Amino acid sequence: MNKLIKKALPSAVALALLGGANLVNAAVNVQCPGDTDGDSVIDSPDPDHPNAVCKHLIAGDSFAVMSDDNPMYIFGFAERTGDAPGDVIGNGILDAEWPGTTIELDQGDEFYLSLSNVGTVMRPDLFDPHTVHWHGFPNAATVFDGVPEVSISINMGATLTYYYNVLEPGTYMYHCHVEASEHMEMGMLANLYVHPGQDVTGCGTGCAIAGRKGGPGGGAAIGEPEGYTYNDGDGTTGWDVEKPIQVSSFDPDFHDASIFVQPLPFAALEAKYPMINGRGYPQTLWPMAADPLNPGVAEIGAPMDNTAPVAGHPIGKITGTGGEVLNNGSATQTLDSAVTVTQGETLLLRLSNVSVDRFYTLKAQGLPMKIVATGSRLMRGVTGKNIYRDVSSVNFGGGETHDVLIDTTDVAAGTYFLHAAELHQMSNLTQLDGGMITEIVVQ
Amino acid sequence: MKPIFKQPGRFLGVLAMGLALVLPWAGSQAAHDIRGITGPTFNLYAFPFNMNLPDGSSVHMWGFGDQDQGANTTHPDNQPGEPNVASTYGLPQYPAPTLIVNQGDVVNINLTNFGVPQPVSIVVTGHQVSASGGVPGLVTQVSRDKNALGGVAETVSYSFTASEPGTYIYHSLNGANPGLHAEMGLQGVLIVRPTGYNAMTNRIAYNEAGTDYDQEFLYLLTEVDPDLHFEIERGHFTHVTGSDRAAAIWFVNGRVFPDLFQGDFNTLFPNQPYQSLALAHPSDKVLVREVNAGHDPHPFHHHGENMFFIARDGRALSSDGGVTADLGRSDNTLNSAPKQAVDMIWTWTGKDLNWDIYGTTTGPLGRADLAHSCSNPACLDGNGDGFDDGSGAACWDVATREYCPDHNKEFPVNLPGAQDLTLGGWWSGSPFLGDTASLPPGEGGLNPFGGYFLVWHSHAEKELTTFDIFPGGSLSSMVILPLALPID
Repeated sequence: MNKLIKKALPSAVALALLGGANLVNAAVNVQCPGDTDGDSVIDSPDPDHPNAVCKHLIAGDSFAVMSDDNPMYIFGFAERTGDAPGDVIGNGILDAEWPGTTIELDQGDEFYLSLSNVGTVMRPDLFDPHTVHWHGFPNAATVFDGVPEVSISINMGATLTYYYNVLEPGTYMYHCHVEASEHMEMGMLANLYVHPGQDVTGCGTGCAIAGRKGGPGGGAAIGEPEGYTYNDGDGTTGWDVEKPIQVSSFDPDFHDASIFVQPLPFAALEAKYPMINGRGYPQTLWPMAADPLNPGVAEIGAPMDNTAPVAGHPIGKITGTGGEVLNNGSATQTLDSAVTVTQGETLLLRLSNVSVDRFYTLKAQGLPMKIVATGSRLMRGVTGKNIYRDVSSVNFGGGETHDVLIDTTDVAAGTYFLHAAELHQMSNLTQLDGGMITEIVVQ
Repeated sequence: MKPIFKQPGRFLGVLAMGLALVLPWAGSQAAHDIRGITGPTFNLYAFPFNMNLPDGSSVHMWGFGDQDQGANTTHPDNQPGEPNVASTYGLPQYPAPTLIVNQGDVVNINLTNFGVPQPVSIVVTGHQVSASGGVPGLVTQVSRDKNALGGVAETVSYSFTASEPGTYIYHSLNGANPGLHAEMGLQGVLIVRPTGYNAMTNRIAYNEAGTDYDQEFLYLLTEVDPDLHFEIERGHFTHVTGSDRAAAIWFVNGRVFPDLFQGDFNTLFPNQPYQSLALAHPSDKVLVREVNAGHDPHPFHHHGENMFFIARDGRALSSDGGVTADLGRSDNTLNSAPKQAVDMIWTWTGKDLNWDIYGTTTGPLGRADLAHSCSNPACLDGNGDGFDDGSGAACWDVATREYCPDHNKEFPVNLPGAQDLTLGGWWSGSPFLGDTASLPPGEGGLNPFGGYFLVWHSHAEKELTTFDIFPGGSLSSMVILPLALPID
């Protein structure tokens, strides 16, 4: 048996017991209209909630491996929609992902998001509750805003169902707000975006129904996009290819302090592993391995302990044994940042910054960038004036989102780089040519 | 700030709420204005002090104080909930006194240095200032430490015309290390009210349309590197270069969480008179003057709803020659650069949640005592769908500002039992606005009115700490209060 799992076994067993129906006070309990067996999958649609969408997330811990092979202890989210209630905690232990599962919704959805806290088995001394904070949700009510100091958060072994009436399209993000400085640095961060109603309706001549909703979606064709970014009324936010790009960073000193149960350095936090979607270059481009326990070269597998000394740590930083699988055997860094577009198509980059530490400037030399939205809202002034901005770089801090369109009509075929503008953000700790870099291929 | 927010204990809170309901405050025109002192002549002094922090430590600061000791305060004695010192307040303070003048005023600031060991000055962003008195300094006339002049005080006069309305920073700038004075605390905000402004009848931030508001709050962001202050306290001026400055404490209006909730002019914080807790009713237009007077950028995030930017650095964002602030965009996080002042309007309506924010008599968490109506005589809603039968526009209740299309819609989910939840101190026990519900002993109690706390904070989350202690730092909040509760 995996040594790590063995060590974590007592607490895992205790939590898995909690997941059963034996205890009245703590149980996995999703709420989802039309779901008859508690797995958060709609079995027969509820006529009162025809647009219900249900998801089941777990919040727990796991590991991620940086591009220089340095394993990082993480807290995070993962999706367990479809699991029977009694299986959720067992399946959710050491299952957290970095970043968490991307949530993609349509305007008009009634979103029931159940969050089950599976505990942090690698830190049995912790009893942390968790929350989901939908960052930027309009007219938020405290109860579903996920800020524990002013609201409620869910304890280990139990489930809290959040409800969102989704009416504002845009690029958002979600994250845990419990002990925000700690849980966010530890990785409880993820992409979230909402497609507009205009995808279904179009907006008149030259603004067809979106390809993703049954419209023509004709590649580079004008006025026939795959989707729209917002309800712009004039088709100017149409895109043919979209990609969420979430920038973040880990400070290895913080993560090591956490797994080795040391005081946490907040003020000294420093972005030493800058990342896009939870990976540093060149991992940003890697595909997933078919078998996470036996990844090929340049493939993402399950997190394993380091097989060579790294960053001052000996082989096997976490377990003492290089190559030891550090979690439940599934891959945790599941989101690549590789982008391919055909010349003439419009690319939508859904940029979000979830750094707890610093601002970043992203640029894509050779590609024209147009910001059409900030903070999940179309860039229109109070009088409706169009205030889109053509830019060559985007500077943004934690909590900021920008929707950026790149029209490749006048762009030569080739490989372009989307990257941090700051030299020291293009490295994985001391490993150069890494960090916050990904590639956009125009073919 | 209402005193009840400072009184833990639900019993007191419920009592206070009962009082609020019998007093004739509903529909009150009272509103919140930024605390400060009015001009056009200000007599300030500079003096060092030690500022206490919630972890029990203290930081050595240099501050400006009001030599007139509150004679011109905007909010004299007996404001509800404020310890009775605003009109006699004259301590050196962090941040410096907020100076409030009117457009067109010829402003005079007389500055005397009674004890800061370096010559100090005042510069005002966005203004042409002439100075007289004192001696020449780095960029303007400076006032030297009285103690270095054999006890003879030296006063410098700064004079300028406040020609354009807006939000500005003033600070000391002098010496071999010019950024040091702001770091040490010699900085504050100047607010210029536009021509035609009237606190009761014409609450506007600029002359442009779209800058009118109901409530007004200052969010002054700063940060401190305590090591640097330690060196200065010991007179090791040459040890401080700024090259290794690394902030470890992050402030809003000169206080950190949770001190920043604790009321203006609270005697617990003698040198930090300004709180940072924003209050609003549903649908209020809230003007936030968000100023980064520090040296680091801060991404400042507003929960609850997006804001519209209306001005930057004392100029409305307008393309049409000052008619409307039409260039402002919407965002929920301000990319707040050092020395940048941004004015914004934020409004929370509770619209479209798809459940009744005041609760229902049926469904999850339904209670008979939550029964209420949603009506507006100007809105003809015969079929009860919440929309005007003629125009199709949504109806809004007159008394509560409830969004009627959501009226009587049941709460959508069951909440777990209290044993499965960790309860925040500001959780009222109920998801409904203005409502409280039972909580286990020792839980809650800080939100007796059932307000909606929507935190406003730096999203560089490491800045929510004070000396590595979470929660602390620049974690502030907006509170949505039922309309019946006055805000002033």
